[in-house]
Amino acid sequence: MSKEVVLDCLGEACPIPLVKSEKALEKMEVGDILIVQIDHSCAMKNVPEWARKQGHEVELEEIDDGEWECIIEKMK
Amino acid sequence: MTEGITRTSSRASARGGSRRKKKNQIPIALIIFVVIAGIGVWLGFKGENLLLYWVFGLAFGFILQRSRFCFTASMRDPYLTNSTSVTRAVLIAFAITSIGFTAIKYGYFANGLAIPGQSYIAAISIATCVGALMFGIGMVIAGGCASGTLMRIGEGFWMQVIALFFFVVGSLWGAHDFGWWKRTFILGGAKVFMPDYLGWFGGLLANLLIIAVIYVIAHKWENRGSNELSH
Amino acid sequence: MKAFFEKIKKNEFYKMWFKDALPYITGAVLLSVFQIATFASTGNPCGVSGVFANWGAWLFELFGGSVDKWYYFSSPGAQATLNAGVLNHPGTWRNLGIIAGALFAAMMASGFKIKKIKSWKQVAAASLGGLLMGYGARIAAGCNIGALFSGIASLSLSGWVFAAFMFVGAVIGSKLLVKYFM
Repeated sequence: MSKEVVLDCLGEACPIPLVKSEKALEKMEVGDILIVQIDHSCAMKNVPEWARKQGHEVELEEIDDGEWECIIEKMK
Repeated sequence: MTEGITRTSSRASARGGSRRKKKNQIPIALIIFVVIAGIGVWLGFKGENLLLYWVFGLAFGFILQRSRFCFTASMRDPYLTNSTSVTRAVLIAFAITSIGFTAIKYGYFANGLAIPGQSYIAAISIATCVGALMFGIGMVIAGGCASGTLMRIGEGFWMQVIALFFFVVGSLWGAHDFGWWKRTFILGGAKVFMPDYLGWFGGLLANLLIIAVIYVIAHKWENRGSNELSH
Repeated sequence: MKAFFEKIKKNEFYKMWFKDALPYITGAVLLSVFQIATFASTGNPCGVSGVFANWGAWLFELFGGSVDKWYYFSSPGAQATLNAGVLNHPGTWRNLGIIAGALFAAMMASGFKIKKIKSWKQVAAASLGGLLMGYGARIAAGCNIGALFSGIASLSLSGWVFAAFMFVGAVIGSKLLVKYFM
């Protein structure tokens, strides 16, 4: 059973969302899903870019004005 | 695309409940545009120079925000995440601007006029090294450099307002101590304008060569990182 | 009216110019164009942090201080700038323009959000970082724009020295950030 982890990075500036995502993913199993909540426009670009480069499945959703959820499925 | 992702994307926002209806901020943007234009007209009457700087500032702010261009990330990400995409973009900006700047400077020189902007050729001394080191530490901790701090205030970051206030305080402090730094180190430093030593073409080529070498290193560094992590 | 703005949101040129983040390279090219235009039209490259020293001086004077005796502000040019006042200072308007331009861009993308301060750690990080940047920029004759970007573009070797030490600083800063500020 894959689990979902929500990571609250609202109000955090770069590079904290990325570093926190990295740490959270390390603790998770393949197939688990990490949802990173972001409201920093730069992190909204670099977190998905970084996660894709690591080989994970990534989707970015705009959930409100200036708020995004980066949904990362751990692939390896 | 895997089934898992399809499932997640149809799920409601992580905060639970139904998705909030997004507000449309474009009307507010248009009001801001009118205010910006109004300030522009006012500045135009005050002095054409002020209007010019205002327009350049607007353009820089707009471009920085739209492209998420970040000098801090260009220095920080190679170490923190192995990513050098911003670093390489910054290098491209250096290359283009140095060609344009050299052309302008050469134009003045060839016409026998004083070369403009030479006050930006700073003396190299311990003060440069210490100052740059402090600046590098500061921008990563504060989450933005000088232009980045201003840009993020425009995006609504209260944390950056604090950073700006202390940037101003720090600047005043630095200005207060500047006499000591100047006497002790800066006066003994050398100002090196590369065309003085290598000629106009040589100076520009040397600059582009440094950029190219760092570009190659940056590219290799990024790929080294991904290879290491992908086995 | 509301339907009209919703329609704009779906327009492909709106998405291209105002909504979707531009690639870093596009940003680099556009910034370069405006940096060159700045130099060609004003005779000086862009600088950001020198203005902050003037803001500091005006603020200090507001509270009854005086910087007239300071070496940094002692030149006739610096004195004339200070006496002309903040509203007549071109650099001030450029810096305010950066804020306004970013605000417009964020609103136009429907992506503006007030981000409140989350913790005391953030306050500490912003204060310490700001102080270090301010002091560092003054003694190194500029920041990432004036000393780095404009320095390197002006074929000044000082720009590269600044870049090297700024990079070392960024590495130290990253370590400190991960350890103490998050």
